[in-house]
Order: sequence, then C-alpha cells, then structure tokens
Amino acid sequence: MTVASAATHAEGLAARRALRAARIRAIAFAAIGLLCFSAASSTLETAALFRFWVDRQGGASEKLETTVGVLWIVAGIAAGLVGALQFVRGAAFPWRRWLLVLLLPFVAAILAALLDGKAANLTGVLDGTLELAAPITLGALAGILSERSGMLNIALEGKMLMGACVAAITGSVALNATGDPLVGIVVGISAAMLSGALLGLLLGWLGIRHRVDQIIAGTVINIGAVGITNFLFLRILGRDTTLNTPPTIEPMRLPLLAEVPVLGPIFFTSKPYVYVAIALVLFLTYMIYRTRWGLRLRASGEKPAAAGTVGVNVLAIRYRALMYAGVLAGLAGSYLSLSSAGSFQMGMSAGRGFIALAAMIFGAWHPIGAFGAALVFGFADASQALLSILGVQVPPQLLNSVPYIVTIVVVAGVVGRVRGPAAAGQPYEQG
Amino acid sequence: MTRAGRLARRAVLPILAVVSALLLGAVVIILTDFENLARFGTDPLGAVGAAIGGVATGYGSMLEGAFGDPSRIAAAIQSGAEKDIATAIRPLTETLVAAGPLIFTGLGVAISFRTGMFNIGGEGQMIVGALGATTTVIALAGNAPAGVILVAGVVVGTIGGGLWGFVPGFLKARTGAHEVITTIMLNYVAAQVVLFALRSEFLQAPGLGAPISKVLTPIADVPLIIDLPAIRLDYSFVVALVMAGLVSLLLFRTTKGFELRAAGFNLTAARYAGMSAGGSMMLAMFLAGALAGMGGSFMVIGTVGQLTNDLSLGIGFNAIALALLAGLRPGGVVLAALLFGALTTGGKNMGIVSGIPYDLLFFVQALVIMFVAAPGLVRAIYRLRAPKADAEVVA
Repeated sequence: MTVASAATHAEGLAARRALRAARIRAIAFAAIGLLCFSAASSTLETAALFRFWVDRQGGASEKLETTVGVLWIVAGIAAGLVGALQFVRGAAFPWRRWLLVLLLPFVAAILAALLDGKAANLTGVLDGTLELAAPITLGALAGILSERSGMLNIALEGKMLMGACVAAITGSVALNATGDPLVGIVVGISAAMLSGALLGLLLGWLGIRHRVDQIIAGTVINIGAVGITNFLFLRILGRDTTLNTPPTIEPMRLPLLAEVPVLGPIFFTSKPYVYVAIALVLFLTYMIYRTRWGLRLRASGEKPAAAGTVGVNVLAIRYRALMYAGVLAGLAGSYLSLSSAGSFQMGMSAGRGFIALAAMIFGAWHPIGAFGAALVFGFADASQALLSILGVQVPPQLLNSVPYIVTIVVVAGVVGRVRGPAAAGQPYEQG
Repeated sequence: MTRAGRLARRAVLPILAVVSALLLGAVVIILTDFENLARFGTDPLGAVGAAIGGVATGYGSMLEGAFGDPSRIAAAIQSGAEKDIATAIRPLTETLVAAGPLIFTGLGVAISFRTGMFNIGGEGQMIVGALGATTTVIALAGNAPAGVILVAGVVVGTIGGGLWGFVPGFLKARTGAHEVITTIMLNYVAAQVVLFALRSEFLQAPGLGAPISKVLTPIADVPLIIDLPAIRLDYSFVVALVMAGLVSLLLFRTTKGFELRAAGFNLTAARYAGMSAGGSMMLAMFLAGALAGMGGSFMVIGTVGQLTNDLSLGIGFNAIALALLAGLRPGGVVLAALLFGALTTGGKNMGIVSGIPYDLLFFVQALVIMFVAAPGLVRAIYRLRAPKADAEVVA
C-alpha cells in the first residue's frame, strides 16, 4: 500500500466512524424524547407555575402557568426534532449548539417536576444565575487568555482564593483607615488583582524560566494558596475580626434599563461584577479575534515556532497573558469575599477555578461560548438555592455535587470533544 | 562513585528543598507577627531577637511534637513504668502513625505519576475507601469474627478507593479528559458523598446530629504493635512498608511495571511499541486509588476508629509533595512519608504550644514541590548565597 492510499484509507475509516457516532447520537436523542413522553403521561395534571416580578422584587408579578406534563411534551418534541435533524444531516450536524438549545425546555421541565406543583419565582433564579456566573466567567476568561498564549492555567483556583483573602484584608484595612466603603472596595479589588497578577508572573517564571511542568507549577500555587490563606485566617483574621469585615458590594440599578418590566429586575439590577464580566466578554472577543495583539496571542498558543520566526516575542506574550489572567482571576476572587459572602472564609473558592476551566473548555476557548457555559453553571447553583428554599426533597449533598459532576462530564467531552490551542502546555525555547 | 555516595548526592536536593521551604515558612511566621513587627521601629534589636525566638519556639515545638524529648524517653525506659514510657515515646509513635496513611497514598501518587497521570485525587480516593470500610464493618457487625470483619473492611475499602481512582484513568484513556480536573472534581464529589452517607441512620452515630459514624473499634480493630496505653501505632504501618516493597517490585521488576513507566516516560513511544497506553493509565489509577483507599480503611478502622467527613484532610495533597520529594521511588516515599509524618504531628503540636496554625505546613509543602520541580532554583540559591542562608531567617 502506498503512503497516499493509506492516508485516504484512514480518512475513509474516520468518516465511517464519525457517521456511526452520528447515528448513535440520533438514536440517543430519540430515546430521550420517548423518555420525556413517558414522564409526561403521569404528570399531565401537575401544575407548573413560574412567576416573574414586573418592576422589582416582591412587587407585582407576571405569571406563566402550565402543567409539568406539557413541559415534558415540549422537551420530548424538541429532543425528537433534534434527533431527526441529526439523522438527516449525519456527521456534519452541529449538535453541540443544538444541545444547548435543548437544555432550555429540559431544565424547565425538570425544575417544574422537582417543584411538584409549588409556585416558583424565576426572577430571583435568573438574577442569581447571572450573579453566580460572573466569577466563573471571569475565571474562564483568565483561562482563555493564558491557554490561548500557550500556558496551561490550573492555578486559577489558587489565584481566586488568594484574591478573595487579599481583597478582604486590604478592603477592611482601607475601610478602617478612611471610613469610606468606596475606598475600601477600590483598594480591596485592586489588591486582589495585583495579587493575581503576581501569582500569574510566578506561574510564568516557574513554567517559562525554570521549565517546571505547567501542571505542577499550577499545583504549587493551588496548594500554597490554601496553606497561606488558611494560615492568615487562623493566625490573624480569626483573632482580629476587624481585619475581615470588608465593605460589601451591593447590587447596582442601571438607570432607565432597570425600569424595563420583567427584564429590568433580572438583568439590570445586578451586582457590578455582572456588568464587568459581560463587558469583558465582549471586549476580549474583539481583542482576541480582531486585533493584531489577538492574532499574536493565538499564534503563540497554536504555533509558537512560526510566531517566533516572524519576530513575535512569544515568551513576552505568554508572561503578559498570564499576568492579565491573574488580574481577572484576582477580580473573580474579590467577588467571593466582597460581594458574595461579605468576608473571607477558608477554602471559599470551593473548586470554582476548576469549574471556570470546564466552562472555558465547554465554550471551546471562546469568550462568548465560555460565558454561555458559565451561565449553565450559574443556573445550576441558583436553582439549587431555589429548591432548598422551597423545601423540595432533594438531598443537599446531591445538589452540591451537581456542578462538580457537570464539570467532569464537560471535561470528559461527553458533550463533544473540542480542540484547544495546539501548543498549550508545551514549553517554548526562544532562539 | 560508591553507592552510598550516589545516594547522598541524590538526597542533597530534596534536603535543601525541605530546608529552604521551612526557612520561607519561618519568614511567613515572622511577617505575620504584627505585634513584634511594630517593635522594629522602637527596639530593632529586641524585635529581631523576638522574631528569631518566635520561630525557634514554633519549630522547636514542632520538633518536640514529632520526636519527643530524648532525655525523658531514656529516663522513662530506665524507670520501667509503663505509663511513663507511653507518654515519653508517644510523639515518636504518633509520627509513625501519621506516616502510615502518607506511605499508602504517596505510593499511589508515585505509581500514577510514573505512568504520566498527575493524580490529585488522593483525598477523594482515600475517603471513599474509608467509607467503604466503615460501611462494611458496620454491616458485618456481629455476623463474623472481628478478624474477618477487619479484612473484609480493608478489602472493600481498597476496591472502593481503586474504583474511585479508576474513573479518571478511564476518562483520560477514553476521552482525554485531563486527570487534574477530574480528580479534583471527584474529591469534591467524594466529600459530598461521604457527608450524605454520614447522614444515614445506618452509619451515623446516634444522638449527635454531626456527620460522624458509629464507633468501629468494638466491632473490629487493627492490632497494635506496642500495647501500651495511649499508643496508637498498629500493624497497618507494617502493611504500608510491605506495600512499598510490592510497589517497588511491580514498577521495577515486572513487565507490567515497565509498561506503566513507559507510558509515563513517552506515551507515543509506548504506543508504537505495541503497549496499551490506555490500559496502563487505567491500571495505574486503579492501583493509586486502591492504595489510598487501603490507607483510608486502616485509618478509619484502626487509629481513628470512626469515619468523619474530614478524615483525609490534607493527606492527599501531602502525598503529592512527598512523592515528588521522593523522586517517585517507593523507598524514597517511605522516607519522605516519615519526614512528612513528623511535620504533621509536629505541626499539630506547634499549633497547640505556640499558636502557629498547622496550615502553614500546606504552604511549606507547596514550596517543597516548587523547589523539587525547579532544581535550578535551589542550585541558584545555594551556589550564590550559601553562606548567607542564616541571614535569611532574620530577614
């Protein structure tokens, strides 16, 4: 067999395998649709009642009334349609995108089924989704920046934890010194971003200069951050609580937009972190795909040798990308202590850095995709709060592990394997 | 060069790594002692003295907590009083007690790292193993002799931990999912699973409301090596040493072990040589989880006697640092585990005596990993500034 025919043979094999995978997916979609119909048969009578606040929390509300069975039927039909499309279109079908579309009716049906006739206020859940997605989005953006430049960034978790701790301490000190919460917030956030940047540079220094395996370097930062923040909490913050009472960041009503009925209370009365995260998603999308800087960044991550040959300083780009990523991770960390909890607690990042990495992978290393994935995680978190408030009988430990299990599923590529930057994780020798 | 010389040379870097990490830990102790820092303006000499004194008290209490007081041990043995001997040698035996689970988990980490799997899931694998052992022991209570229950508990715990480790191995081999993310996520899931299980009527200690299991000691216990009051050192430590021997045999004297190491050394080459790289990953992760699970089982049945949700606290992470420190050699793992066992028991004593939180040791461990992974760093420090090493403590 010649080399050329061997290549075409391999291609034919791959195409056949892809077609078979597509058929299996189509059958799976159809099976899910059938399952939905069987679920619908027993729940046609159960009411599903979703409420939305019109102008503000607790005021007048708009109702959405149907039954659980109807929602299951809608989900079933949607799954069937996607399955049929998948069958007709074969391997070329962009099913990952459709899976996200499918998620909507499914989540609605599952939520309604769990609520079992109780009325639920969705404004709070959707608002909470945005808020909880913000730190994950920021973390995912940090991951995108560093991995696009060719550096794996397992250390997001540690940087977030460190950022949370630093923001709490410096914010408290600044507040105590000046008595002005705004100064405290500005100082806290800046210090958190600075700490993230320094850890980013440390990661770069270990990975680039000393050629430490980037995963090991990240682990050093993760374990070290746990150690140093626990130590500070037990030795200093635990004894002197005035150092752990930072100013808290309150929700911000955007003028005019917040007055829009139904949508206003969901989208435009959030914490500032939400607006910043969304702005950064758009900004980075532009920067990465539409500027010379972005082209060089992506080249460093895909083919550093080629970038280096045309005179791009790959290592400088990587250092800078890690620094910016650290700034974003530190900002995400400051959310935890300044906005979410109101103080620093040990281990409060609770795996969010890794969830952010999963969001990055799920979003195919694209800022907008990562934001979409972060929303899914945020929704899982927010609806968990809703279910526990309503006293729905689901063990809290099960609900708590959902984000982690989803992360594993995402990383395992069960929802489709995506390709990351080619050179991520490989050291580059600059000539 | 002689064999001893080679060994000594091999030990230089790890020793310097630990020393440097402890020195940086001392810097952190000094920098977080605000009352003393404030004195630097008015009474610099006294402040320097107090700073050194603070570190000396802290690390001194760590040493004493880990090894005991030699003169007291000698006096106690001469007097022959059982109770005196027990109190005198307790720190030393507690160091060995702490080293046991570290050996098990460290061996597991070493196997998986050798196969190219950066397994951070020791925590989860260990506690899932402990959960399996606890459930088995409680389920068998009264239905079998204590010895049988002990063995059954350890076997189930070992398999449970192995399966928990197998999952990331399987995912990596089949889908390429990065084991760092999956193992860490499984740590969180394991913590939730154990919390959930500890809320069940079957496992939970009645009347407490806390996530703590019933006491296992009356049902089954691991026999003690030294039968003295307050001494907890049991035969699981011997099992740990045997396991180190077995792992060494597996890795360096069998074909399977060669395949494991080949997969870690060069995946592509291993594949071209016709080895099943995926199979190696799964096997290595199963063995890693099984060893961690065995450690967890012995811990929960033997030394601790009941399952709590924070049983494994930090051991899985310690294992990473010590396995790297040991150069991923089973014999080295035993030595490094003894060192880390001493740090653990000493660190707890440091927390009680001098109020310096135990968690400082996580920071120290991170630095140990860093120095071991970046040997150039250590060489640079000690070639250029070796004579000034003492000055660093003061700074």
